[in-house]
Amino acid sequence: MMTIGSESRQRFELPARIVGGVAAVVAAASVLLSWSYDPAALDDMSFWGAPSPLQFHYLALGALAAILYLLPIALRPRNGSWTNWVAWNTAARFASFTLLGFPVIAVIAIALEAGGLINVDPGAWLALGAGVVATLAGVLLPTSPEPAMHRIKTHPVIQILAIAAGMGALLFAAVFALGLQDAGAFLLYAGFAAGLVLTLLRLGVFGWLAVCAAANKRVLVLAAFFVAFAFPFTQNGSEANMSIATQVLIFGATALGLNIVVGLVGLLDLGYIAFLGAGAFTSAVLSGSAFATINWTPPFWLTVLISGTVASLLGLLIGSPTLRVSGDYLAIVTLAFGEIFRITMNNLDGSDGPNVTNGSDGIPGIPDLNFFGFDFGATHVIFGVTIGRFANYFWLMLLILALIIVVFTNLNRSRIGRGWVAIREDELAAEAMGVNTFALKLLAFATGAFLAGVAGAVKAHHDVSVTPDQYVFLESAFLLAAVVLGGMGTVMGVLIGATILKLLPEKLRFFSDYRLLLFGLLLVFMMRFRPEGIIADERRQLEFHATDEELAEEVEEELVTYHAHYNPDPKGQK
Amino acid sequence: MDAATATTVDAAPGSGKDLLLSATDVTMQFGGLKAVNDVSMQIHTGEIVGLIGPNGAGKTTFFNCLTGLYKPTSGSVEFIGRPLPPRPRKVVREGMARTFQNIRLFHNMTALENVMVGRYCRTKTNAIDAIFRLPRHRREEREATARSRELLAFVGLEKHADTLSRNLPYGDQRRLEIARALATDPKLLLLDEPTAGMNPQETREAEDLIFRIRDLGLAILVIEHDMRFIFNLCDRVYCLVRGEVLVEGPGEVVQNDPRVIEAYIGTPQIVEEEGNADA
Amino acid sequence: MEFFFQQLINGLSLGALYALIAVGYTVVYGIVQLINFAHGEIFMVGAFGAFATWVLLGSPTTWSLAAALFVLLPAMILGGVVVSVAVALLTERLAYRPLRTAPRLAPLISAIGVSVFLQEFIRLFFGYIPGMPDSKRAIPFPSVEGISGASFQIGQVTVQMPAVFTIVALVVCTLFLWFYVNRTKTGRAMIATSQDPDTARLMGINVDRVIMAAFAVGAALAAVAGVAHGLRYGNIDFRMGFLSGLKAFTAAVLGGIGNINGAVVGGLVLGVVESLATSFIPGQFGSTAWKDVWAFALLILVLVFRPQGLLGAKVVDRA
Repeated sequence: MMTIGSESRQRFELPARIVGGVAAVVAAASVLLSWSYDPAALDDMSFWGAPSPLQFHYLALGALAAILYLLPIALRPRNGSWTNWVAWNTAARFASFTLLGFPVIAVIAIALEAGGLINVDPGAWLALGAGVVATLAGVLLPTSPEPAMHRIKTHPVIQILAIAAGMGALLFAAVFALGLQDAGAFLLYAGFAAGLVLTLLRLGVFGWLAVCAAANKRVLVLAAFFVAFAFPFTQNGSEANMSIATQVLIFGATALGLNIVVGLVGLLDLGYIAFLGAGAFTSAVLSGSAFATINWTPPFWLTVLISGTVASLLGLLIGSPTLRVSGDYLAIVTLAFGEIFRITMNNLDGSDGPNVTNGSDGIPGIPDLNFFGFDFGATHVIFGVTIGRFANYFWLMLLILALIIVVFTNLNRSRIGRGWVAIREDELAAEAMGVNTFALKLLAFATGAFLAGVAGAVKAHHDVSVTPDQYVFLESAFLLAAVVLGGMGTVMGVLIGATILKLLPEKLRFFSDYRLLLFGLLLVFMMRFRPEGIIADERRQLEFHATDEELAEEVEEELVTYHAHYNPDPKGQK
Repeated sequence: MDAATATTVDAAPGSGKDLLLSATDVTMQFGGLKAVNDVSMQIHTGEIVGLIGPNGAGKTTFFNCLTGLYKPTSGSVEFIGRPLPPRPRKVVREGMARTFQNIRLFHNMTALENVMVGRYCRTKTNAIDAIFRLPRHRREEREATARSRELLAFVGLEKHADTLSRNLPYGDQRRLEIARALATDPKLLLLDEPTAGMNPQETREAEDLIFRIRDLGLAILVIEHDMRFIFNLCDRVYCLVRGEVLVEGPGEVVQNDPRVIEAYIGTPQIVEEEGNADA
Repeated sequence: MEFFFQQLINGLSLGALYALIAVGYTVVYGIVQLINFAHGEIFMVGAFGAFATWVLLGSPTTWSLAAALFVLLPAMILGGVVVSVAVALLTERLAYRPLRTAPRLAPLISAIGVSVFLQEFIRLFFGYIPGMPDSKRAIPFPSVEGISGASFQIGQVTVQMPAVFTIVALVVCTLFLWFYVNRTKTGRAMIATSQDPDTARLMGINVDRVIMAAFAVGAALAAVAGVAHGLRYGNIDFRMGFLSGLKAFTAAVLGGIGNINGAVVGGLVLGVVESLATSFIPGQFGSTAWKDVWAFALLILVLVFRPQGLLGAKVVDRA
């Protein structure tokens, strides 16, 4: 590791800016050259003068890096102005890392996919060289102070436009990523996205966006759902991607339910998948399938309620004896319960027990939903765009996810949520302050189970069949991994975690056999290095870093500024 | 401070003579060890009662018997004429709140949130109210916030409402614990060593705070080691030694009782036995 | 009546297997209050270690009775123990020790990660070790002359030799463990640490080393159980640790977690209950398909009515 004194960094600043800026421009220009001789690699980067979509991304990144290097020369950042609240240098450094990383991945992918480095064309080598130079320049720049873009005062209209632009970018990125067929191209894009996010984070853009979002919560929520709602229109009837997207939503909804139990109350539930299964089986048995064992088919809204209720009754059944004893036991009892569920579903086949579930064959042929004549199995054409079967389920699941988010956040921001935090922090003190800890834990358990049951009811129809082997322990561990990766106690984090964990194996087929191995490692590493997850819930972060005084001060300062900004009346509600 | 009226109105006009708590022959046995042995105690409204005794005399164990953390092996505890339920949270609902010897705040919550947890047992918002943001939820949130801010002001922490409790100085943490206990609208407040680790200045402030709480009409039971503090403060004092009440009476009587002096200065042998009996 | 004794013997030998694993849960829990989820996988890894030792010895199948019993079997046990202990110590060092001051949830989640990782690691990579078979499905465990498949009769009751091996192993291990805990310096340090780690540290006990010893002891016994499992069922697979681990944990809770004697008693009781339940519960619910359900139901019942377990002392909260 090179160490450069701050003085010499000052001296090198201007040259570093110029060199870095030029290198970034060169890197951006490299997309005009061919990167790969073989058009099959990385979704075709073999054109001269006509960049591929992925190369356009690289072009944009190069332009961003050039701006980060060169603009400060003109602006001359001063204390107290917005120019000094932007962390130009750190961001430029991260953009340069990405400028370097992108061609590195590209070269490796081209060599692997097309067979040998011989297939790498001059464009990629030029980008690689420019990336190296840019990275060196970035390392030479003095480090910026912590970004403070959240202090920038922004006109409300611009704030709303920023939210819209952010959401639009998100939609575009999702559509683009799902459209990539080649595994190497997907990895390359994932690397690009991670680099861009890190760059913007270091620049301080997210701090500013957070302020915009906090000031326009309604707009944000509406925009998010509008984007999600609009997603099927971008797919032009492609069923494969819509199926993945729907699975992501089901998985995310279930993970949010688990998040109530794990993230908010701090109880470890390792049999959570059983509640999803209970909902799915209930819904299947009542679906009117030729294999259903009960000849009664209630309307779907009632089925959903029954599925949720059955799941939450199971939750109460398992929770009421075990929630009284120490939390450690709960983990293993729920694990045992998950096994009991699976075995029972296997055994209720008519020979080892009454026939309810057809045993290990499960219940196939579950008919599609039909709301007032709207057949979920049929394709519809709306605004000239074909909307297929999975898109219908996608929208239904989106609605359910919205409800789950409402339940999650409203419970969390009430006296019940405060009680949960108190239990997590010090159960005995909570009890001694009059909090009914047992009832609150049971409530969390039953609510989580209910939500999973509801998700399961939709899942049964989406999947067409329900079998016991879909609901094994590893699936519970997988859900837990989503919660831990994303960030315990947060909504956004868990949805991101669920998306990552569901999307990666779908897009990177070669890695699917190693999926569980890597998730096991992921759990260990997350606990070791970032237990609060990608998106940290502030309080959770403090709990996991009990000895970090600086962090405590920082979080508190944030709390106070946010209060001062948005609750000028000190008596206002929290 | 009109927020405290809920408790004041109930308790104050009773001339300070109503029997609030009556413990009769409370015994707590762990295995072969009698940590508390046949202890009886009466507390009346508006009274400050002290509980002293050497280390391991069973003071905290007795506290835990009162607050429902332990179920006494034998004996009974009545609160306002009714037997106390043997669960901490039910005891709180009956009107008895406590602080802890080693501060047990919710460290990663702000001061305000800590006090609001104390309001939990006096609010009724259920999951349905909360999920649908029904009027009851909003009204109770508003009231709980207002009441909690008043209590923070009462203990002198109004400036620190948004401070994380782990970032508060030690003395403030003790006061926050008292505010949190007061938020449960108690009739009797139990303080377990409220001045442990405080300097003389802070101790005087604590004394002042306890008097002000008494003036709201609450009865207070204090465990303390600091003799001067206890005899300044208390109307009556119980001295507990080896799980039994040695002396009971007004401060000056207990203070001058030769048995109390002996128990405190003691012989090395006794001290050692007491150390083992710490429960 | 013969049927009852037959089931009793079956149950005891099954229980001895659970007991050997349960000791690992209980020793570790007693000292660091951690449920080591990965312990079932330590047991599984031990069985694979024993198998690998057999392959290294040239995959012998025709050794004489004496050579099998006095060379092959001890070598396999030793191989399994070495692998199990090594994996357990690595796990402790990398996944648990850094989290010792973290909230309780952190090491539990880490332990689940280790558990999944170890299963998948064996599934994916065991076959890559030269000479080892593909492990994506069950591997036949080597038969040891005089034990595998052998049995003898007492009256009408058939006693399988693997069952005898398991019970003997349990007796030997328990005696060894009793001696280790009560008569050695490390053992006494373990007792001290389990009662009060901070004071133990002040008294000059190297708590890290004691914790490592606890993991090692548990892992060694789990490896012996792994060999016993292989001999009993004739094959091993990467999934075997999950169910056995869960059962063994049930046994540890049943006996009173943290209590070594309790783990032994709990294991035996659980084995017998499971075995008798499948024979004496009438109707469809008495079929073997339900036996795991009854075992776990017992776990829940114990937690409701006697959470401290059969031999555990009642724990009181301190204020």
